[in-house]
Amino acid sequence: MIATTPETSLRLRVLTRLGFWGAVIGGLLLPWGIMLAVEVVVHQVPFARAWRSFTLHLFAPGYNFFLIGLLTAAPFVVLSVLILLHLGAAPVQDPLIARRRTLGLAGAGLGMLVLAGWTHLEVLLHPDAQGALAYLYLPVILLASMPIGYGLGRAIARILLPRPPA
Amino acid sequence: MTGNISSPTIMTPREIKLHLLGLVLFVGLLGLWYWLSTGARAVPTLIEMLQDDDPSTRIVAAEQLGQVGPAAQAAIPRLLAQATEDGNQHANTTAAAALKSIDLTAARQVMTHFMPRLQEQDAQQRRTACAVLGSLGPVAKPAVPALLAAGHDPDELVRRNALMALASIGIPSPPIVAALLEGLRDSSSLVRQTAVTQFAFTVPLTQPVVTAVTPLLNDPNRSIATLARSALDKARPDEATQLESLGLMVQHSAARDYALHQLAQLGPAAGDALLPVLPLLQDDRPLIRYLAAEAIGAMGVSAKQAVQPLRLRREDPDPVVREAVVEAIAGIEAAMAPAESSGKAARP
Repeated sequence: MIATTPETSLRLRVLTRLGFWGAVIGGLLLPWGIMLAVEVVVHQVPFARAWRSFTLHLFAPGYNFFLIGLLTAAPFVVLSVLILLHLGAAPVQDPLIARRRTLGLAGAGLGMLVLAGWTHLEVLLHPDAQGALAYLYLPVILLASMPIGYGLGRAIARILLPRPPA
Repeated sequence: MTGNISSPTIMTPREIKLHLLGLVLFVGLLGLWYWLSTGARAVPTLIEMLQDDDPSTRIVAAEQLGQVGPAAQAAIPRLLAQATEDGNQHANTTAAAALKSIDLTAARQVMTHFMPRLQEQDAQQRRTACAVLGSLGPVAKPAVPALLAAGHDPDELVRRNALMALASIGIPSPPIVAALLEGLRDSSSLVRQTAVTQFAFTVPLTQPVVTAVTPLLNDPNRSIATLARSALDKARPDEATQLESLGLMVQHSAARDYALHQLAQLGPAAGDALLPVLPLLQDDRPLIRYLAAEAIGAMGVSAKQAVQPLRLRREDPDPVVREAVVEAIAGIEAAMAPAESSGKAARP
C-alpha cells in the first residue's frame, strides 16, 4: 500500500467537490447550452436574440425549457450524490482505491454527458412531432447508462492503475 | 482545507452532510424559481410582456396567460387589445385563445369584434377574422353561421381558414361536418387538404364522412391521400373504447377540455359518457362548465337525467355558461318531447 501524502488527499477532496457540483450544474446547463449553441451556430441567430428567445421560452407552455433542463439534470444529480458517497467516502490511506473510483465515476459521467449531448443535438437538429418524447426517456436512459459507464471506467482503471505487488 | 487531514476518508461525514444539504438548498431554489415564474405569480410580469415591441414576446406572454386561466383576470384588458388591435395575426390568435381560458365573456367580445370582418373587402382582414374566430374554439359557436358563409368565399385562403375555424369550434356538429364534406370537393387542393386534415386530426368521424373520405385514398395529391388514410384509421364514435377513453380523459384535468369538446361533437352517440361529465358542471373553470353543458346538451334524450342538475346551474356566475345551460335544457327537452309523444301513441 502507498501512503497518501497531504497533497494527494487535498487533491482528491477538491476533485470530489468539483465532481459533485460539476455534475449538478453541468447536468442542468447542458441542454440549455446546447439549445443556445444550436441557435447561434446552426441557425445563425445573433447571441442576444437567441438568449432573449431562450429566456422567453423557459416557462412557456409547449416549450418549457426549464423542465427540459430539470429532466436532464435529474440523473446527473444522482451521479453527484454517488460521487459524494462513493468517492468522498474512499479511504485516504489507500489512494489507489480513490483513483480507481474516480475513473469509474468519470466513465459514468462521460458516458452520460455524451448520451445527453447527442440526444439534445438530435432533437434540435432533426425536429419531428415525437422528438419531445426523447426528453422524457432521456433520464431513464442516462440512469441505465450510469452503471455501464462506471463498469467501463473501473475496467480501464484496472488496466491503467494496477495494484503494485505487496 | 487541511482540517480533515486526520480523517480516514477523503471527505468527513460532516462535509458529506453539508454538501447534501447544499444540494437540497439548490434544488429548493430551482423549485422557488419555477414557482415564482409560473401560475398566478407570473401574471404581472406577463402583462408587462404583452406591451413589448417584439411580437414573439407578446405571443409567448399570451400563451402563458392562457395556461394560468381565470387567475389571470388582470390581463383581460391587455389581451383584448392584443386580440383585436395587434397588427400580427399570430399575436391576435394567441391572445384570443388565452381569453377563452380566462374569461368567456371577454372571448365572446373578441368574437363580436371579428364577425363583421368576415364581410370586409380586404381578403387579408377576412382571413385574420377566420383565424381569430377559430382560435376561440367552441366558445365562438355563435359565429358558426357566418363562418359557414365564409366557406364559400372567393379567396381560397379565406375558405381554408374558415374550414379550420369551423373544425376548431366543432359545435354544432352537423352543419360543420357538412361544410367540411363540401370542402373535400373544393376546386382548390389547399382547401381539400385542409378539410381532410380536420377529419384526420380534429373532427370525429361519422358514417357519411367515412363514405366521403374513402375515395380520397386514390387522390392524385399524395398528401391528401395520406391524410385520408389517417382519417380512416382513426377510432370511430361508435367504438365503445373511444367513448371509454374520452370518459377517462374527462376525469384528468390535462385533457379535460379536449375530451369534453370531442364528446360535444359526438352528440347523442356520447350518451354513455354522461356520468363522468355531470360533475364538471360545477368545475372552477368557466370553460369546462361551458363545455360540459354543451356536451350534455348535445347528448339529447340520453341526457334526460341531467335536466335537474342543469336547472341547478341556471344561476351560474358566468353569463356564457348560463346561456349554454339554458340551451342544453331546451335541447334535451325538445329531444324528449317526440320520444314521449311516440311512447304515448304506441300505448293502446
